[in-house]
Amino acid sequence: MVFYLSIILGKLVAFLSYILKIGAGSTWPGHLALIFDKNFLKKIFKKNPHLQTIVVTGTNGKTTTVALLKYLLEKKGYQVFTNKEGANLLNGIASSLIKNANFLGKIEKQVAIFEADEFNFSLIIKEFSPNIVLILNLFRDQLDRYGEVNTIASRWFLALKKLWPKTLVFLNGDDPNLYYLGKNISSFVFYFGLEKSKMPYKNLPFDVDFNYCPVCFNLLSYQKVAYSHLGSFFCQKCGFHQENIFTLSLKNIPFSLFGVYNQYNLTAAFLVLIKGFNFDLKKVSDFVKDFKPAFGRQEKIIYKNRIFYLLLSKNPAGFNQSIEAVTSYFKGQKKFFWLILNNRIPDGRDVSWIFDVEFKKIVFLAKKIFVSGDRAFDMAIRLKYELTNSKKKIIPLIDLKKTLKKILEETKENEAIFVFPNYSAMLEVRKLLVGKKFL
Amino acid sequence: MKLFLGWFYPQLMSTYGDRGNIIALSYWAKILGIDLEVCPISLNDPYEKILKMDILFMGGAQDKQQEIVSKDLKNGKSKALKKAIEAGVSGLFVCGAYQFLGRYYKAADGTKIPGLSIFDLYTENPGESFPRLIGDIGIKTKIAKDEIVVGFENHGGRTYLSNKNLAFGEVIFGFGNNGKDKTEGIFYKNTIGTYLHGPILPKNPKVTFFLLEKAIERKYKRKILVKEFDEEWEKQAREIVIRNNRDR
Repeated sequence: MVFYLSIILGKLVAFLSYILKIGAGSTWPGHLALIFDKNFLKKIFKKNPHLQTIVVTGTNGKTTTVALLKYLLEKKGYQVFTNKEGANLLNGIASSLIKNANFLGKIEKQVAIFEADEFNFSLIIKEFSPNIVLILNLFRDQLDRYGEVNTIASRWFLALKKLWPKTLVFLNGDDPNLYYLGKNISSFVFYFGLEKSKMPYKNLPFDVDFNYCPVCFNLLSYQKVAYSHLGSFFCQKCGFHQENIFTLSLKNIPFSLFGVYNQYNLTAAFLVLIKGFNFDLKKVSDFVKDFKPAFGRQEKIIYKNRIFYLLLSKNPAGFNQSIEAVTSYFKGQKKFFWLILNNRIPDGRDVSWIFDVEFKKIVFLAKKIFVSGDRAFDMAIRLKYELTNSKKKIIPLIDLKKTLKKILEETKENEAIFVFPNYSAMLEVRKLLVGKKFL
Repeated sequence: MKLFLGWFYPQLMSTYGDRGNIIALSYWAKILGIDLEVCPISLNDPYEKILKMDILFMGGAQDKQQEIVSKDLKNGKSKALKKAIEAGVSGLFVCGAYQFLGRYYKAADGTKIPGLSIFDLYTENPGESFPRLIGDIGIKTKIAKDEIVVGFENHGGRTYLSNKNLAFGEVIFGFGNNGKDKTEGIFYKNTIGTYLHGPILPKNPKVTFFLLEKAIERKYKRKILVKEFDEEWEKQAREIVIRNNRDR
């Protein structure tokens, strides 16, 4: 009885917040339902045994991969819902379930995909065992907020060990930390990775977070490196190495997102669909052609006849990948860049991490680099220190509107500006360019 | 003028952007006409390498990496390091590295990990129920007299100096060594131990100059005094942090 009341109440709250435009409709219904009935999630899943649940986590690529999975599943006729609007907590998950259920708690759709941040992931899978768990990667991100990489990994490990044994676990096999984690849990584990020919580097860069052998603590050796500490690794001392990694051997998959990091997202999504939903590799490759990126993830926005590319860049590994993607995809002439660095609560207060990003390439390639945000001057120093004569290319201006005005003065029509914002900065700049708020 | 900068365990002890200190030293060395060669000091490298260096640097890391490093430092390296610091080499040791150089570190679970005993201090982590000391920090130092040295701290351990006069700075805002006695870091001979990330050197060129000046003085018996330089952006970056913390 409490269960039904929770649903009715949740729906009522969602309805009211919609009518009154309070805008908290994505978390409040679930929040209340969970207060009324602690076992709400367990009950609603029990009522809907047909519902397949996927939980996706990782430092980078969650939003893109969730969007990709949803898109591809829908192409094949599945009805899918997700925990929308970045509300990736238990409340957000409960809310999305209420929204998609009728008053008796029955859900018609077949698949639910939930995006979980690094911190909440363990809380969520302790609450219920999904059919599929996908972990994309683990890098340092907001150390002052989430804690260190090893702390997160051990929390994940404890949670994964308690999963329902039938849960399928998909892990990035090119990440030694995650690969080892998979070897020590009892679920069915599948690993995805990249073919060595797609890995661009021979040596490890500076933004690595896990480069020692998890078995004997010797430094790991790499045959090739994809980015950060992802690559084909092995331990010279104890022989620890990778086995059974799924890679995409198909050439020329028409995927609109560029960069090595998106190859990982694509491979992960394909493996989940092949093993979890019996997709055929050839078919799924045909489907992917028309996929459009999510907000701020290589999103293209036309503003006053200039082309702005938004590449969310919120931690060292992600930022390095954004730079790599732009500089290798858009070869040739000098470019305009706009870097925006905030340090608000969702970004983490500490901006030290920008010193683990490799900026040399964009300083070389830049006609001008505009720098804005609350901590614009930290970023300006970072760029200035790359080359002794780089200062004249850099224009620091804290205010985004003023910077945009300056950009319009300095650029011609049809010119491209590559924008690298961190999280809150992405929302801000997007609002400025698109003219309306999203979320 | 040539200087060698010894960077301890770049692959392991570099979690909080502390590599920025190397970038800042290299940049200003170039501006000042100093040929600075960065030499990584890694696992299994011979300890003699340390004795050839004019500036030493070690950053912070996660517990596991620190464990690996502490094993490696046992073999002769810690003696060489002590000898170099006592001899007046320029040194910067941040966060985990700073704790290392003390007498011991008592972990959250109570285990006592012996340090290198170069600095007369000890560090204790009071346990999981106590919050980590996280946030912006500003300190007054002898090195940069008329300004506030600014950084970001993130540490669970509380450090206590046996002699508070040896502190690197006095806390203006933030926590410092232990959140209680207003001391921050240690300043011993020409070596600085500190909790300041941010990283410390890029935003505070005066501290960078101190390390370079002392190294030149020691090696070439020459004084270089950096007086005029362009630090407009560094100043602005510091001022933003100071402004945000004015009312703390």
